[in-house]
Amino acid sequence: MKKIHKADTLNGPSPLAYVPLLLWTAFMVAILVYIVGASLSVPRDVFTGQVFKYSTGLHWENYVTAWTTQKLYVYFFNSLIYAVVACTGGLLISAPAAYVLSRCKFRGNHLIKRILILVMSIPSILIILPIYGILVKLDIRGRVALCLVYVCLRVPYTTVFLLNFFESISKTYEEAAAIDGCTDMQTFLKIALPMVRPAMTTITLFNFLSVLNEYFVALLLTASDGATSLGVGLTSVVSALMYTSNYPAIFAAVVIVVLPSILIYCLASRKIMYGGMGGGIKG
Amino acid sequence: MKKSKTFIACFIVPCLIVLAITYFYPVARTLCMSFFKTGSVTAPVSTWTFAGLANFKRIAASPDFRRGLWNMLRIWIFGGVFAIGFSLLFAVILSHKSIRGKHFFRAIIYLPNVISAVAIGNAWLYYVYNYDFGMLNGVLKVFGIEPLKWLGPDLKFGAMIAAAIFGVVGYYMMVFIGGVERIPEDVMEAATLDGANAWQKLTRITLPLLKGTTKTVFTFWTIVAMQFFVWSKVFSPIGTESSTIVPIGYMYEILFGSLQSPEIDIGTGAAVGVLVAAIIMVITSLINRLFKTDDLEL
Repeated sequence: MKKIHKADTLNGPSPLAYVPLLLWTAFMVAILVYIVGASLSVPRDVFTGQVFKYSTGLHWENYVTAWTTQKLYVYFFNSLIYAVVACTGGLLISAPAAYVLSRCKFRGNHLIKRILILVMSIPSILIILPIYGILVKLDIRGRVALCLVYVCLRVPYTTVFLLNFFESISKTYEEAAAIDGCTDMQTFLKIALPMVRPAMTTITLFNFLSVLNEYFVALLLTASDGATSLGVGLTSVVSALMYTSNYPAIFAAVVIVVLPSILIYCLASRKIMYGGMGGGIKG
Repeated sequence: MKKSKTFIACFIVPCLIVLAITYFYPVARTLCMSFFKTGSVTAPVSTWTFAGLANFKRIAASPDFRRGLWNMLRIWIFGGVFAIGFSLLFAVILSHKSIRGKHFFRAIIYLPNVISAVAIGNAWLYYVYNYDFGMLNGVLKVFGIEPLKWLGPDLKFGAMIAAAIFGVVGYYMMVFIGGVERIPEDVMEAATLDGANAWQKLTRITLPLLKGTTKTVFTFWTIVAMQFFVWSKVFSPIGTESSTIVPIGYMYEILFGSLQSPEIDIGTGAAVGVLVAAIIMVITSLINRLFKTDDLEL
C-alpha cells in the first residue's frame, strides 16, 4: 500500500496537468485584481488603460458613490436580512422535521422523504406565480414577503441535508438519554442537535450564500419598493452609473457585492464546497 | 425508540405546511392556469374562463418565444459540452493523489459558485468584454489582432454562454471529484500492478466508472440550462434582445416587462412555465434511459 503510494508520488502528475489549472486561476485572479484596482481609479484612467497608475491618488469616493449615493447599502441590508431570516427559519422548520423523519417510524415517513427530494427539482418558474398571488391576496408586502418565501424555499434542501446527517450518526446516546428519563424534547435539544452541529453550520453557510446571491425570486416578488435585494439592486445601480460612464463606481459596486461572499468563503471554503453536494448525490 | 404521536406531529407538521403552500398548491394552480384565461394574478378561480390550448398556441406563435427556445437549446448543447468537459478535466487532474495545491485549485475553481451571478456577470460585461479597455481585446492587441466587438450581435450569445460556463464548472467539478473518489482504491492498484499507464487507467477505469456521475451532472445541467435567466438578464439589462432571450426571460417580459399586451395574462405566463417544466421532464427521463447504469454503478 505504502509502496504504491510512493511510486505514484514519484511519477507525479504530468507537469502539463498544471497548465489548465494555472490558466484558469490566472484569469480569475486577473479579473479580481483589475476590478479592485479599477474601483479606486477615475474614468479617464480606466479608458486609457492606465488603471494602476493612480496619477490622482486613490479614489475611495467611488465606494461612497456606490454605497451611499446609489443606495447600495439599502439593498445590502435587505439581502442580509433575507439571508439571516432564511437560515434561521429554515433550520427551525427543517431540523425538527429531519429529526423525526430519521428517528421515528410513522405512516407516510417514506413518502415525505421522497416528496422532499422530488420538490427540489421543481423549477421555480412553476411555483412563483401562485406564490406571488398568495402574497398579494394576503397583502404581505416588501421585506416580510421575501423573508417568508426564502424560508419556505430553503426547507426541502435543508431537511434532506440534515436528514442524511442524522441517519449517519448513532442512536445510542439518544436511547441512553431516553432510558435515563429525558423527555423526547430534551433528547432532541440536548443530545441529538449538538451532534449534528457541524452539519447545521455547513447548511447555514450554504443557505446564507444562496439567499444572499439569489436573483430570480427577488426580481419577481419585489416590485419597486424598499425591499429590493442585492442582486436586483446591483443591476439598477449599474445602469444608473452607466449614464455617466462611471466605470470605477460600477466596479466599486461589484466589489461591495462580492466581498461578503468571498470573506465567508475564505473562512470556510471546504464546508461550503461540500455543503453544495448534500442534496444531489450521496457522498 | 418510541416517540409520542404529538411529538412527531409537532415536529413534522410545519414542514408539511411549507411543502403544501410553496410546492403542492402552486404547482397545481400553475398547471390549471396554463389552460385558462385568468386575468390578474389574484383573480379567483370562478372568474377564469377555460381557454384550452390557446395560451400554448399564443406562445408557440410568438417569434420571441421561439427564438428563446432555440437559444435555450443551444445553451443546453454548447454549454453542456464545455461545462461537462472542463469540469471533468479539472476533476480528473484535481483528484490525482500527488497534485500540488489540490485544495487551493479546487477552491479557486469553485469560487464563482458562491458569488452573486449578477456581480460576476457585470465584471465580464464591463471589464472582460469591454471594447475599449477590456481584457480580451487587450490580449488580442498583444498579438497585433484588431479588437473585437464581443458584445456585438454576432458574438454576444457566445460571450454570454462562456461567462455562464465559467460560473458553473466548479460545481460540476466537485460532483465529478466525488465520483472519482468513490472508485475503489484496489481497482487502481491492481491496474498499476498490471502495468497500466496513466492514460489507460483514465480511459479504461476512471471514465467508464464515472458513467453514473456523468448522468447526475448532465441532469443538473439540463435543469440549469432550461431555467437559464440571470445571465440573459445581465447581458441585456434594458429589454429583450433576440441574441440573448430565453423562455424564462420571455415569461418575465410578457408579465412584468417590455412585452406586456392586453391579451397576455398570467395564464400565458403559466403556460411558459408548464412548457419549460415539461421539456425538463422529458429530457431528464431520456437521460435516465440513455445512461442506464447497470452493474457499473458505484
